[in-house]
Amino acid sequence: MIVDFRVFVGQSFDGTRQTVGDLVHGLDSLSLDRALVCPFKPLSYNLDEANAQLAAAIRPYPDRLLGAARIDPWQPDAPASLRRGIEMLGLRALYLNPWEEHFPADLERLDSLMEVAQAHRVPVLVAAGYPWLSAAAQVCALARRWASVPVVMSNGGQINISGLGQAGAALALAQAPNLHFDSAGVYRQDFIEECVRDFGAERVLLGSGSPYFDPRLEIKRILWAKVSESERCLMLGENAARLLQW
Amino acid sequence: MIIDSHAHIDAAGYWVDPPEILLPLMDEAGVDMAIVMTYRDADGPGHPATRYVVDAVNRYPDRLIGYVRLNPQSPGALEAVDEALGQYRLKGVKLHPISYVGFPYGEATLQVMRRAAEFSAPVLFHTGDEALALPQEVAEAARLCPETIVIMGHMGGYFHCQAAIQAALELPNVMLDTSAMPYPALICRAVEAIGAERVLYASDGPGCVPMLEVEKVRLAGLSCRDETLVLGENIQRLLAGVRHDR
Repeated sequence: MIVDFRVFVGQSFDGTRQTVGDLVHGLDSLSLDRALVCPFKPLSYNLDEANAQLAAAIRPYPDRLLGAARIDPWQPDAPASLRRGIEMLGLRALYLNPWEEHFPADLERLDSLMEVAQAHRVPVLVAAGYPWLSAAAQVCALARRWASVPVVMSNGGQINISGLGQAGAALALAQAPNLHFDSAGVYRQDFIEECVRDFGAERVLLGSGSPYFDPRLEIKRILWAKVSESERCLMLGENAARLLQW
Repeated sequence: MIIDSHAHIDAAGYWVDPPEILLPLMDEAGVDMAIVMTYRDADGPGHPATRYVVDAVNRYPDRLIGYVRLNPQSPGALEAVDEALGQYRLKGVKLHPISYVGFPYGEATLQVMRRAAEFSAPVLFHTGDEALALPQEVAEAARLCPETIVIMGHMGGYFHCQAAIQAALELPNVMLDTSAMPYPALICRAVEAIGAERVLYASDGPGCVPMLEVEKVRLAGLSCRDETLVLGENIQRLLAGVRHDR
């Protein structure tokens, strides 16, 4: 089973869009079985609305698509929004985007959301690697405060084409056993292979970041990685299934 | 023929990648030759990093072509260029402003660029999403040295590809390399905007796996002719003009 742990559906304020039909067609064309779907930040900036629309859009595909609740921690009713997303909309992960919602990934205010995630046993996916806001060290600090909550950094915890984010991402993985990462756009494929060797394949998930990244390329980061077949299976889907209890 | 215009070898530093790591990955990807440079910056003539490249090229003359990577702010920088391009017959200069912490448009860098132009040798700049390596900053250097062929490595990185394309649109002496940036669609956009003749396939291997990097170019969906240019003919044509005397 292959699971793409991070895709987007809807229309972003930046004009990027993907319909659920486009997504499912893309999954089929690459023989991907399932995906965790996050909402874009819409032009209205209303994430509650985006979560509800996402839940409705993926409802016809219960065997293929699960949704993540995107929450802005600055909103006073953020914990209630997350509870509503999980309990009423059936969403199964918390998605935090420090870059677009503009908060540091180790913000103390996130604790009320982490408490909800912990109570409902849902993983937390963090848009990572953004300067000042979501460096791996910042995501790590959040993960360490909530050691029983699985936290997944996008993009290998780094968006840095000099490779200068790699040591920090590796240090974060060493310091927080509940920290994982998705593979979208990761600089240097040997970083993925070294993380599998040093921290275990259980910490790495295929995540394409579609449509921002090209899933035709992103899946090959995992398919062509020089790892054992059992490690590849973990990265391709078994880890996602475990974290999402799917 | 496929020629990788940007790959690395080195014996010391954060990444240790002897040529024997790169060569089988080139074979796996069907890459005939690769331009190699160290991760370290030489600070003058006789530097071990430059010697390492020269030795590798001498050992694998049918597979490897060498660039000298140096710190243009070091007192011996111009002598290092003369030695590398004149005496050792290397084919170009690599500059990584984040590595040596220097402005691309600083006078020392401009002098090195002008010296490279006297050999008709290209200057490959690391470009990306951080200060000192933004395409806009490297473009200023290219504007001040119109006689120098400037290659923007990584095509601007994750978030500055459009800026790199714009720089190449405005400056005829700018070319783009495709290494490590994760967007096949932007390779297509670059070719449409500035012509296939100014886009170079590159991997930034061995960490960025050549097979994946070749696949990225193929996923761009270029015409057969354009793909041939990008994958090898362009860099072959460019390097054919390099002289080894001033």
